Amino acid sequence: MSILQFAGIPWPQGLHLCTIVNSCGVIRFVGRCTWGLDVMKMIGLRTIALTAFCLFVASLLSFAQAPDPATPNSQTSQEPAAAQDQKSPQTPDKPQSSAQDPAKKPPTDLPNAPSSTKTEPSLDDLGFSATQSQGDLKRQTLLDKRTHMLKVHQRLGLITAVPLIATVATSINAGGKDTSSSSRDLHAALGGLTGDLYFMTAYYAIRAPRVPGTETRGPIRFHKAMAWIHGPGMIATPILGIIAYDQKNAGEKVHGIAQAHAPVAIVTAGAFGAALLSVSVKF
Amino acid sequence: MTTKNIVACLLLLLLILPIVSQPAFAADSQWVLQQGTLTYHVSHKLHESEGVSHEVRGKGTCHEGHCDFLIAVPVKSFDSGDSNRDLHMIQVTRGAEFPMVTVRTRLPESASASATIQADLEIQFAGQTAQYKQVPFQLVTQGKQIRITGTIPATLADFKIEPPSLLTMKVKNDIPVRVDLTWSSQ
Repeated sequence: MSILQFAGIPWPQGLHLCTIVNSCGVIRFVGRCTWGLDVMKMIGLRTIALTAFCLFVASLLSFAQAPDPATPNSQTSQEPAAAQDQKSPQTPDKPQSSAQDPAKKPPTDLPNAPSSTKTEPSLDDLGFSATQSQGDLKRQTLLDKRTHMLKVHQRLGLITAVPLIATVATSINAGGKDTSSSSRDLHAALGGLTGDLYFMTAYYAIRAPRVPGTETRGPIRFHKAMAWIHGPGMIATPILGIIAYDQKNAGEKVHGIAQAHAPVAIVTAGAFGAALLSVSVKF
Repeated sequence: MTTKNIVACLLLLLLILPIVSQPAFAADSQWVLQQGTLTYHVSHKLHESEGVSHEVRGKGTCHEGHCDFLIAVPVKSFDSGDSNRDLHMIQVTRGAEFPMVTVRTRLPESASASATIQADLEIQFAGQTAQYKQVPFQLVTQGKQIRITGTIPATLADFKIEPPSLLTMKVKNDIPVRVDLTWSSQ
């Protein structure tokens, strides 16, 4: 088909042998018109036809590229249309949320996916690197495990505080001159329970995974520093307590290193309480 | 004559091609975020805490009288002054899986001349998309820059985030986010 025919310009019958192939810049003339008409005489008509064709192509390209929010079937307008559909049923003050499931949703709904419309800026335009904007499931799993273990640590720590307070309270009647005392036995039993719970609590803190590249800041530093006091204290206190218990049961007065049992226990309990409060109450 | 014809057609093309090659989506103007601060506020019976991020980036492209804005900030960039809390925040908001918070909005170009604007926001955070309608912001023009301040009334429920708890007490559902952005036109 010649360009003139394509442009809808009347063309004498039989002139089809005069082939003009034009693709906006490539013009070829093959043969001559059958009626003996010189093709070059048609230059004026061709120029008009060429202009019309190129403008037609230009308009096609413009339609293809421009986002048309008014056309629902337009590929580029699908996302805004969908977004408006989500907005419509909501009340002005009530925000609406929708899930982003990376496995089910199209890529355009992903938080890190570039915008589907050409006019909207994308994350790439903002200069965020791929490592910054892409999700890391491994790291999320690590954080989930860390949080789980620290939650258990927190619960056990709170539970530990109960027998710890009770142990301190029963220490008042744990002394005396008797070789046998139920108060002393109760104090020892509570102390043992506190120790067990304490080391279970410590286990979850120690075994919680560290997150690489994290600098420790804030009250957690004090919380961790206190562990260097109540940790050794929780080892020393029961050992000293056993020595003191044996000395008491033997009818002896508590002497030697066992005399340090009460002061060590008080410092240990104090450090434990301070550690607990440091992450619970804002000072 | 053939050469003359080709030259004529080529000249014609030279006139037309710039029209064709001009992309229909070319932006008329752009806004670039010069500096910004986002601050979230979390309330607990024993604590009031705030997390601040200065790593916010944004861009707005204007076309046919409207500007499309995208503002983004990494979740992990928020600093509350407590590394333990920040890590817990990243975990509970699934910040490693969805590392960016993005805010999209469309405003008329004429809005830059107003003292206040009401913006419809689409926020993607924690794997969820929430839309906030008619969020008020204040605009202050400072030379060639515009400073925008306001508060987004975000809640944990909007993003299906389980409220974290401390000493078995959960934090409040409201997590208002203060916005302070300085834009410049290009």
